[in-house]
Amino acid sequence: MTSRRIAVVSAGIGVPSSTRLLADRLAAATTAALAEHGVTAEVEVVELREHAHELVDAVLTGFVAPGLRPVVDAVTGADGLIAVTPTFSASYNGLFKLLFDALEDGVLDGKPTLIGATGGTGRHSLALEHAVRPLMAYLHAVVVPTAVFAAPEDWAGGAAGVPALDRRIARAAGELADLVVGRPAAAAADPFESPVPFEQLLRGE
Amino acid sequence: MNPGAGALGQVIAGATTRGRGIEMGMQFGVFSVGDVTPDPTTGRTPTEAERIKAMVAIALKTEEVGMDVFATGEHHNPPFVPSSPTTMLGYIAARTTRLQLSTATTLITTNDPVKIAEDYAMLQHLSDGRVDLMLGRGNTGPVYPWFGKDIRDGIPLAVENYALLRRLWREDVVDWEGRHRTPLQGFTATPRPLDGVPPFVWHASIRSPEIAEQAAFYGDGFFHNNIFWDAGHVRRMVSLYRRRFEHYGHGPADQAIVGLGGQVFMRKNSQDAVREFRPYFDNAPVYGHGPSLEDFSELTALTVGSPQQVIDKTLTFREMAGDYQRQLFLMDHAGLPLKTVLEQLDVLGEEVIPVLREEFAARTPAHVPDAPTHESLKAAQEKVSA
Repeated sequence: MTSRRIAVVSAGIGVPSSTRLLADRLAAATTAALAEHGVTAEVEVVELREHAHELVDAVLTGFVAPGLRPVVDAVTGADGLIAVTPTFSASYNGLFKLLFDALEDGVLDGKPTLIGATGGTGRHSLALEHAVRPLMAYLHAVVVPTAVFAAPEDWAGGAAGVPALDRRIARAAGELADLVVGRPAAAAADPFESPVPFEQLLRGE
Repeated sequence: MNPGAGALGQVIAGATTRGRGIEMGMQFGVFSVGDVTPDPTTGRTPTEAERIKAMVAIALKTEEVGMDVFATGEHHNPPFVPSSPTTMLGYIAARTTRLQLSTATTLITTNDPVKIAEDYAMLQHLSDGRVDLMLGRGNTGPVYPWFGKDIRDGIPLAVENYALLRRLWREDVVDWEGRHRTPLQGFTATPRPLDGVPPFVWHASIRSPEIAEQAAFYGDGFFHNNIFWDAGHVRRMVSLYRRRFEHYGHGPADQAIVGLGGQVFMRKNSQDAVREFRPYFDNAPVYGHGPSLEDFSELTALTVGSPQQVIDKTLTFREMAGDYQRQLFLMDHAGLPLKTVLEQLDVLGEEVIPVLREEFAARTPAHVPDAPTHESLKAAQEKVSA
C-alpha cells in the first residue's frame, strides 16, 4: 500500500479549539478517502499556537529557528495540505498568516490543499472565498473547490437548507484525496543542493 | 568556455600556503554597518559627524590592538552614514600602516562597475595595496531606483557588473556591451590596478545561493555575515560555495577562501556583559524586539559574555564552516557609545585575538591557504610571468 503525507495546520487559539476540531474531522475524512484509493495517509498536525513566538521571530529576523523548522518542513514536504483558521475580523487570523509569511517562495507551488474555517456566525462563511482562497492562489497552491466553513449551528444540526457539516467535510476530503492521489506534489528543488550553474546566470538565464 | 578558469592559476597560486613564506594565518578584524542608532540607555543619537569620526577611531583602534582588517559598509539612506567607502578608507589608509582595508559590502548592483574599478584601484595605490572588497547586493528596494536600477534585477546586476569589473581590472582596453549600462568602446579604467594586480574580491550574501555560486565560479572568496541568520543556514551556504569551488576547478573544497562575521560583547563576568548589552540587543535594528538575547545567541554567532566564551564560540565556527581565512566582528552596532566600543576592542585585542590566533593555527592543516593579499597575488603573478 502506498502512502501520502498530509500536513494539517490549525490556527485555532482556544483549548479545546473548534478550529482544531474541524481540522481533525477534515484529516480523518481525508484519511478515509485516501484509503478508498488504497493509499495510507501519514497525517502530521501542526498547532500554530505552540509556535507563535517562533513565527513572529521568523518574520522579524527573516530566518526560521530550529524549533519552527519541523513545522515548515512538514508543510512544504507534504503531498497534501489541510489549512484551517478561525475567522477574525472577516478573515484568517494573524497566526495563520504568519506561517505562510515564513515560508520560502514557491514551496506551495501545485500543492493540493483543502481550506477550512470556523466562525462565530454563518455570515462569515465567505471569508474562506474572499480571504483564504486568494492567499492560497497567490502561493500557487491548488485548492479544492469545496471549502469547509463551520459555524456554531453546524456543530449541532446545521442550518435549514445547508448540507450537514459531515457531508461537506466528506466532499472536500474526497476532492483533496483525488488530487493527492492523481498528482502528488513534487518535492521542491533545493537550491543549495542543485544551484543554477553560473554559466546560465552569465547568459542572463 | 569558463572565464573563471583563466584566473585560476593566479588566484590559487596567490593564496599563501601556511607553513611556507611569511606566516600570517587567519585574518581578524572589525566590520561596521555604520548605523546611526540612538543609545537606548540614554536616548542620545550621535550626529553624523560623530558617527563618521567614530568609525575612523574604531578602524585605527583595530590596527592598534593588533587586528588585521577593517571593513566599512556602504549605504545610501539614513540611518546609515558610510555612503562613500573609498573616501573613508583612503583617510584611514593615511593614518595606518598595516591594516587591510575592506568593505562590508560594496554594492555591486547599484554602483557603476566602472566607478568601482577606478575608486578601488586608486585606493590600492594610496594604501600600497592594502585593499580588498566584499561585494554585496544591498537589500533595500528603494535604493535601486535612486541609482537607476530595479531590485528585481539584483542577481543579474551582480552577475553582469562583476563580469565587467573583472575585465576593467584585467584588460587595459575594454570593448563591452551588456544589458545594464551603456556600452564601452576602447575604454581604459584609470589608474590601472597597483602592480597590475586587481584587489582580491569576496562575494557576500546571507541567503542567495547564486552568489555562493558566483564566488565559486571565479575562485574568489565567499563571506557570510553569520550574525543575522542561524548557523545551520550559514553551514549550507558555505558548503555550497566550497563544493562548487571544487567543481569549477579551483582546488579542493577545503582550500576555498571563506570569511565569517561575528558579533561580541564582553565583560569579565558574563552576567555583567548580558546586563549591559541587553538594552542594546532588545532595541537593535534587524533583530530587536524579536527573539530573546539568549535564544539569538544560541542560534547565531552573537556572543555576549566573558572573553573566554567569545574564544570558545568563535572556535565553533570552524566546526560549522570548515577551516576559514577571515573572521570579522561587528562591534559598534545598535547605538553602543564609542567609548564602550573602544574598550571592547582593547579586550578583543588583548585577551581574545592572541588566543584565537594560536588555537586556529594549531587546528588548521598546512594545505589550507591564507586569504590572498596584494603581496601574495603579486608574487603569484610574477611567478606565472617568469
